[in-house]
Amino acid sequence: MKLVIDEYANLNSPLHRWDARYRLVGLIILVFAFSFIRDLRLLLAMVLVTAVIYIISGLPARFILRWLRFPSFIILVIVLTLPFLSGEQIIASLGSLALRQEGLLAALLISVRFACIVTVGITLLSTTSLINSIKAMRALGLPLIMADMALLTFRYLHELGQDLSRMLTSMRLRGFHQRHFSPGRLRTFAWLSGSLLVRSYERSEWVYRAMILRGYGQSSRPPGEYQACPADALTLGAVVLIAAALVVGDVLLGHNIAAILQ
Amino acid sequence: MHIPDGILPVQVTAAGYAATAAVTWYSLRKIKQKEDSRQDIPKASLMTAAFFVVSLIHIPVPPTSVHLVLNGLMGVLLGYYAFLAILIGLFFQAVMFGHGGLTTLGVNAIIMGLPAIIATYVFRLSKIGNKDSPRKDGAFGFLAGLVAIGISVALFVVILLSNIPTDLNAAVEQAAIFTLAVAHLPLMLIEGVITALIVIFLRRVRPTMLSSL
Repeated sequence: MKLVIDEYANLNSPLHRWDARYRLVGLIILVFAFSFIRDLRLLLAMVLVTAVIYIISGLPARFILRWLRFPSFIILVIVLTLPFLSGEQIIASLGSLALRQEGLLAALLISVRFACIVTVGITLLSTTSLINSIKAMRALGLPLIMADMALLTFRYLHELGQDLSRMLTSMRLRGFHQRHFSPGRLRTFAWLSGSLLVRSYERSEWVYRAMILRGYGQSSRPPGEYQACPADALTLGAVVLIAAALVVGDVLLGHNIAAILQ
Repeated sequence: MHIPDGILPVQVTAAGYAATAAVTWYSLRKIKQKEDSRQDIPKASLMTAAFFVVSLIHIPVPPTSVHLVLNGLMGVLLGYYAFLAILIGLFFQAVMFGHGGLTTLGVNAIIMGLPAIIATYVFRLSKIGNKDSPRKDGAFGFLAGLVAIGISVALFVVILLSNIPTDLNAAVEQAAIFTLAVAHLPLMLIEGVITALIVIFLRRVRPTMLSSL
């Protein structure tokens, strides 16, 4: 199954060559440093770091725009309403609507933080395949049960999606209109969902037998799956330094909107 | 009902990851107590995939449509695997569709996954007593679905509104809580009804699924 996030996993940028385990650790540290930032003066630095990482990755601009084009509904609601609902200092008013400075700045903070975290997260996860990211998590200590579950779930998502699509097609051919609502249709949706669950359950019994025949549970993880070089550790060190600089900067600058307004 | 990146402060997202690690550890401990815990992994995984796919179905509720969460049903069918399944599902939703977020993965897992575990126990109450009937299973299925999504909505509203990086006045906050709660009421009822109907369906078609994990 070809995923959007795997579309550019085979490019040859420095980020693509970075050891997947180090990249995951760097990603987690950096996105948490971004979510730590509360001082508006550091937003520019955060945007700069994000832009540099994205340029180094060699990913085309249209790729990240796909993720940012339709931001979460919650982000939209918060960013569009906060400037009118939160704060006391009115900077403009139109009839009963008053644009408030504190709400406007909070909306700016949320939207920039959202865009930077999503961009860095997607960039670092899309510079290798999703399967490889899960294997790297396993190498970093993700419990075996969770790694196996994630890989198997991923393996069967597409097939079950196709099963559902076929079932919906056959329902439509028998006169079912998905867009109309009636209590009776809830039963049809429930039976559809139940049928898919039964199919997946029955298939899992065959899958388990096939896995046992192939030696599932007998062999341990192959050694030396990942070989890091000094450059990988140095890159991680640089990312940690950037993250630490952002966090320290936020603490030193007073890290709150009230401080900016004074 | 996924909290996206960028809204919550780092203390909350880090606490979310810590709580998720604790619940994951507890779930894994319970799973490993079974004689052959690996045997159930394919079942839990394929059903996780099925739940992921089912959650993409949009059910028309005029004037809009809702998509099912089904965390209550996951608790009923997957037991202690439910939290792991939800965590994995949320990770895939974040990287495939941009729903939720990476920093908020822990918080979202608690919002969706903890109620699923509670639903497991709610449904197990149906096994108390000698009387065994489809209606009884259906009633407890309804309760499990309703309770799970109800707790999820409550956690979502509280975490979201108490962590917006600027103060809302009390009237606005109350109005937001009321609006969000009322907006989710139809979803809660539909989740309860669908969970009950699926439990009754599985009882007829494949009863072992209701007690296998």
